[in-house]
Amino acid sequence: MINDPAMEDKKEFKSQATIEIIDNGPIKITGRILIRDSKRDITDNPEEVYLCRCGRSQNKPYCDESHKK
Amino acid sequence: MDKAGSFSGGRRYTNGEITVYWKPDACVHASHCYRELIDVFDPGRRPWVDMYGASTGQIIETVNMCPTEALAWKWNEEEKNKTIDADQTNHINFRRPELMGSGDDTPEEKPATVKVMPDGPLVISGSFTMHYSGNKKEVNDSIISLCRCGSSNHMPFCDGAHRKVEFNDK
Repeated sequence: MINDPAMEDKKEFKSQATIEIIDNGPIKITGRILIRDSKRDITDNPEEVYLCRCGRSQNKPYCDESHKK
Repeated sequence: MDKAGSFSGGRRYTNGEITVYWKPDACVHASHCYRELIDVFDPGRRPWVDMYGASTGQIIETVNMCPTEALAWKWNEEEKNKTIDADQTNHINFRRPELMGSGDDTPEEKPATVKVMPDGPLVISGSFTMHYSGNKKEVNDSIISLCRCGSSNHMPFCDGAHRKVEFNDK
């Protein structure tokens, strides 16, 4: 009986990006990412980005440090 | 140069001249490959494809016999992929057009996608590692939704609070 070659492959976890939720701060994303913001017509693939999660940034979706105020 | 490795949904093998893509999910075990060319396609061997077991011409001929998209091939020299006769049934142009234009050095893997929802959360899809409040979470080919309005009671995740607080994404 011939082994099924499909058995050779197990689904492995390959992380494309790292998402770090900074305590009392923004979301930091690094790695291979694609950002889409249809409202502002943004499509970007930065290596590193800080995104607002306090709702107060004047430069959404990006963090502008408003959370510190 | 001998570049082999994984790509989304399978593996690929090269002899420097052509690359053979293997997609195990698509195999219906018609068995043409190993009956025709056991020196290259040997299911009892690991790795099961030896690209140096026969000539490039023989490999192409055998891959073209595969009735599914489980085996597909392309020339490594991209120019040559632009003019392919229709009888080359398993060239990626015909079987796996999504693989066209993918270079040899970059595995065919999608980046993680971050969608900014209007007046709503961040929806992140793909495979990525998350760090939050001292936790580490590996998300494998899945989707999460992160709060962007600052009002979620389930931080850092979205709980729908943006609607109640009428989060206006200016």
